[in-house]
This record gives sequence, C-alpha cells and structure tokens, in this order.
Amino acid sequence: MAAARKRILKEYTECSNDTPPGMKINFDEQNMTEWEILMDGPEQSVYSGGHFKLRLTFPNEYPFKPPVVSFKTKIYHPNISNDDKGSMCLGMLRPDAWKPPNKVISVLHLVRTLLIEPNVDDAIEASIAGEFKDNKKGFEKTAKEWVKQYAK
Amino acid sequence: MSAEDIGIFTIEFPDPFTLSYYNDKFQTLDSNVSFQYPILDGIRTLSTSGVSNGDDPYGIMFVPTLTSSDCIEAEKDFVPANATRRQNLPDVDYSLIAVAPWFSPTCQQEYFAAARGLPVKGFFTYLPSNNSETPPLISDPAWGLGDGGSWKSANRYPVYAIPGISGSIIMQQLNLYSGNITTVPNGRELVDIYAPSSYVRLWANVDTGSPSQLPSLWVFLLVVLALLCIIAGGSSCFLHVLQRRRRRDLRTRIINGQVDLEALGVKKLTVPQEYLDKMPVYNYTREATASEEKEAELLVPPQPLPQARLSLKPSQIPSEPGEPLVRRSSAPSPSAPAEHAHPAFSQPTCPICLDDFEPNITPIRELPCRHIFHPDCVDTFLLNNSSLCPMCKKSTLPDGYCPDIITNAMVRRERYIRRYRQRAQSGTPPEVNAFIGQIRRITSRGRRSSQSQIAATSLPAPASAVPAQSGGRRHGLMGGNILHAMAERRVFSAPVRPQPDIEMGNAAAPSSTIPEHQAATAVPATAEPPTLSPSTSPTCDPIPANSHTRREWARQRALELLRSRRPPEVVALEEAEARRERGWRRVLGKIFPSA
Repeated sequence: MAAARKRILKEYTECSNDTPPGMKINFDEQNMTEWEILMDGPEQSVYSGGHFKLRLTFPNEYPFKPPVVSFKTKIYHPNISNDDKGSMCLGMLRPDAWKPPNKVISVLHLVRTLLIEPNVDDAIEASIAGEFKDNKKGFEKTAKEWVKQYAK
Repeated sequence: MSAEDIGIFTIEFPDPFTLSYYNDKFQTLDSNVSFQYPILDGIRTLSTSGVSNGDDPYGIMFVPTLTSSDCIEAEKDFVPANATRRQNLPDVDYSLIAVAPWFSPTCQQEYFAAARGLPVKGFFTYLPSNNSETPPLISDPAWGLGDGGSWKSANRYPVYAIPGISGSIIMQQLNLYSGNITTVPNGRELVDIYAPSSYVRLWANVDTGSPSQLPSLWVFLLVVLALLCIIAGGSSCFLHVLQRRRRRDLRTRIINGQVDLEALGVKKLTVPQEYLDKMPVYNYTREATASEEKEAELLVPPQPLPQARLSLKPSQIPSEPGEPLVRRSSAPSPSAPAEHAHPAFSQPTCPICLDDFEPNITPIRELPCRHIFHPDCVDTFLLNNSSLCPMCKKSTLPDGYCPDIITNAMVRRERYIRRYRQRAQSGTPPEVNAFIGQIRRITSRGRRSSQSQIAATSLPAPASAVPAQSGGRRHGLMGGNILHAMAERRVFSAPVRPQPDIEMGNAAAPSSTIPEHQAATAVPATAEPPTLSPSTSPTCDPIPANSHTRREWARQRALELLRSRRPPEVVALEEAEARRERGWRRVLGKIFPSA
C-alpha cells in the first residue's frame, strides 16, 4: 500500500506539472486514492463550455488494476454510461488491457480525447453510439442541451 | 390377528415320560397315511386376544372338558365319546389348540374357562350344522354369551369360528386320533416306524397373514423410501464420480498445457515462493542501446522488411503472394540465447513504482518473459495477486504448473468458458474460419523453431496484421486453443483504435501520430511487447471490413460489457462464499454436487 501511495504521489506530481488543458485536479493528501477532477469541455468538441466533475478512484491493487474513471456530471456520450455512475470502461481502462506502466496522465488524455472524438465502436451506450453514427446533428443537439442542463 | 387359513395335520411325537432322553421332536405324518385338512376359507375371527403381530397360533388339538353335568349331557350330541381330551395328551405344557362346538352360551363359558387353565394358543369353535358357509360376524347374536362380549378379553387366546361342516369333520377325526398309536387309522403301519409309546394326534396351524405383518401401506411407503434412497445415493455417487473425473481431466489438461487457468480467468493463480525464488535477481545494467534502436525501428509501420531481418529460414516463411510480414520479435528466442544475457528490451524504469533503475546498483527481478521489475514491487504481486506478468500478462509459472487443489468451481468455470467459446466459434463467419485455418497452417509450420514470432497473413485489408504466436509456452497443443481464443476475441472485441499506450522505454511510441487507417494495421507491430499472448490482448483483433459487421461487433461488444464479467476474483469470492454457506446447504451440496 505504501508503494501504491508513493506511486500515486509521483503521478500526481507529474500530472500537476503537466495538466492536460482545461483540467484541474483536486488532490487530498488524506485520501490519495480519490482524485476529483474538474474539466472544461474541450473547445473543439460539442461539450465546449461545459464544466465536468470527474472522480478518479485508485483500487487497492493499483497499479496492477486500472483506476476507475467516473463522470459525476451527467454527459451525453457514447462511451460514458448514462447512469448515476457515469462510468467509463474502454481502451486501457479495461482491467484486461491495463498495464502497470500506464500512467494517470495518459488516462486524463484519453478522457479528453474521447470527448473530442467519441469511440463509437467501443461504446457502452449503444443507442447514443447509433445516433452518433446515423444522426450526428441530433447527437450534437442533445449533447449540447445536456451540457446546458447539467454542466453549467 | 385374524386367521387367513388353518392347516390341520397329523403329528407323531414321543411320550416324554417313557424316553430316558429329552426329545420333543414332532413329526408331521405323510398325508397318505394320516389325516390332513386345510381350511382355506370360511374362517371368521371372533377375537384376537393373545396374538401379536407375526404370531401364528399352533398346537395339539383337543376338546376342553366341561364341568356341569347338563353341559356334559348336551355335548354328547356334538362331540364323539372318544374325542381327544386333555387327559389323552402327555402331562407336559405343549401348546394346545382347543376345539369345541358352540351349542349353548353356558356350556361355551365352561369351554372357555377350561381352556383358560391350559396353555391354549387358540380356540376353534363352530356352530353345529352341515353347511360350509362362513360363520356369522362377531356382531351376530349367535355369538352372544350374555356378558356383553367380555369373554373376548377374558380369554388370553384368539377365538376362530370355522364352518359347521369343518367342525364336524375335525371332531370325527379327533375321535379317531385319541388313543395309542395302534388304534389310530393306519396304526399298524405307523407302529412299524414309530415307538409304540408315541402319540399320534391332530395338530393345527393358524396362518394369520404375511410373516412381516406390516400393513401394506407401510410396506409400500418403505419401498418408495428405499427406492428414493437408492436413487439419491446412486445419483450422488454418480455426480461425485463425474466431478472427480472432471477434476482429474482438468488437471491433466492443465499439466499438458491445454488450459491456462489464469489466462481464461478461471482461477487466479499466485506464484509459490519456491517458483519465485527460481526467477533471477541481479543488478540492473544498461546495455540496451542497441535493442532500443532496434525497437525504435520496429515501431515504424513496417512495410517490406529487408529479408535479412527475417529470423526464419526461407522454408518457414509463409509463401503467400502478398507481403509476408514475418518479423523478429525483440524478445529472446531460445534459438539465439547468446545475444541475451540480459533483457533485450530497454526497460530503464520499474513499471510498477515508476522509479528509474540505477545501473549496477538496483537489484531487479527478471520474469521468464524477460520483463524486469524491482523485486519489492513485483514479488508481493506475484505471491499474492497473480501469476501473470503485469506487463505482458504472460504466465510466469513453468509449463504445466497446476495448483494443488482443483476445485469444482474451477471445473465449472472452465467448462462454461469452453462451451461459451465453442458457441462463439461456431457462430463465426466462414472467412474467419478460413483465416483460422491459414493461421493454423502457419503455426504448425513455425512451431518448432521459433519461440515467438509475429506472422502476418495476407488477408483482405484491413484485417491483414494478426500476430500468431506459435506458443512458446504451450507448444502445438495450445495452438488450437489460442486460435479459438482469437476467434472469440474476433467476435467480442472492439476494433483497434490508436490509443496512447505508454510503454516502458518506448520513447518512439507516439502511436497517435500514426494515421488511423495505418494504425489499424500497424498496432500489433507497434504497441505491444512481442511476447504478448494473443488471448489477453485486446489489440490483436482484426477489424471487420464492412460497416455491417462493424455494427454487429459494436453490438456484441455492448452485450459483452453489459454481461457481468466475472474476473477471477469473483470466482474466488464464490469459493469463499461456498465455504461460508450454512451447514445444511453445504451438506446438501456435498451429497448432490451441481455438475
């Protein structure tokens, strides 16, 4: 556990030195395994103008298990579950794809990249993914509405 | 108990007083020289006192002696003068059966009273007549003795009524068999066989039904119960034997390397200390410059590689007309061990704590897949969490390592996964099967020589680059399984996307800079360390060509996500839960294990 804390601290240092644009990390030394992240919707995405709250939870087995990313702010996105968990499970965040050398900073970059360009092939919300592919205008409209409604 | 039938025989027994030795052997005389008379029906049981379940009253027949002169006078009409009386029998407590006509209540009371003083086991009575009808029911006034029926309980012997005609016949015979042996019918012949002092008398057996005397309902229930017990026991045995066989079978397959419990997610294996101790620990040295360069080169999407880089002999190169992309992996192969005194890939940092290794100072542990870590970082993980290398998810345990205990839960899980895969595979489109066939050919060709190679086959793009590992750890045997696993992943995994996959020392791995269409084909070549096991790598999947299959993929993928994935922990939890189960459930589970 001590080793995990050391690593989390190290990663925090790295992240705070090089925070991805539009992100702010609230780090609590008392509770290092839960990071609160405030994130502005990327300019070039439909989520621009929104402010999203994320929680990054490190499991006890970190870094052998991936951190858990969850959106506390509701968001209309094919890769983010449309429930109160707002969980995200794709790519390197999948337990079988996670590797210890993966870093939090790359997780944060992944999150940002996904907001700009959703990955419809690995969608958790199939209906949203379908809309994204077949009716992009409609998708963008709903996403923007949600931003207005929940992420202001 | 009520009489079913009565058998009357003639018996011979020695006079106990003339013999110097004890002999109470009673002998039934043959029917052709004596009287035998079965009464099979028409018997009415009047009272059953003194007979318990399973008792069949029997004894020597006699007529009780009356006391009042009126009755003695009246009896003469029904009982012949020489009928067997008590005094015609030896004065020994032999079992007796009394026989008397029922001609008046008063005299009947005297008969009963006389019989009560003797070792009488049963009393036959009859209403004097010449018909063979069954005597009336006990409720009939004919059986009234003016005492309200208390005679039944007063007698300690059962009373049976027989038809009048039978009573008369018996009475006639009792008259004949009352004297010494010479006076009885066929006495002259009998005296040749038996001692002159022997008695020849009539004997009666009352059969009161089946010997077990259990009411038939109970017998039926018992039979049903016994059958249930047999079925339960039988099926329990069967299931236990079946499970035992399955456990043994699984063990064999694990030892043969056909099943990798951990890779399948059946069971989380950990590395025992003794195996861990066998993995080398030495001080880190930097000597990776050359291999770093090599890797950097390999990271570039390799279009036709110089023939010189191929590690395979020409005969082993797939001869497809396309562009055979057979690359050397940077992992060491056993065929060229000299090169690799130390890890071939550049790993300047411990992937777990992200601290740099200091050359010649930091001790590092090298796993069989050649990944290196701080011993402190990786040891606890291997000892407590998993036996797979955290980097490449390849097992660090030796070939055919099998945990000491194979549980039924493991067997169940393995069977479930196997069936699931078979189903998934049978659902794969034909071109995939063709593809598998192609891979299989290549794999079998390359099986012997190469520890690990990445063979790319020329399938219609973009599914052109698929690593086929010819099973360094599990040679040929596992080859098929890997392919199955790949086929499964082909169905259930998402198409590859360029992901910023931070790899140790892969300084030149900005895979996101690779154009997407190219990345799709190049990912297996760039992102993963070459010792990657295809079954655990999500990036190995060929991408379906047309949008329809892509959609189907997405759907399958969503289904997969929705279905609760049960990682090894879940199995472990289940096992722990099973241990905690309440007593009776555990007992039931022991008796009837779920197959």
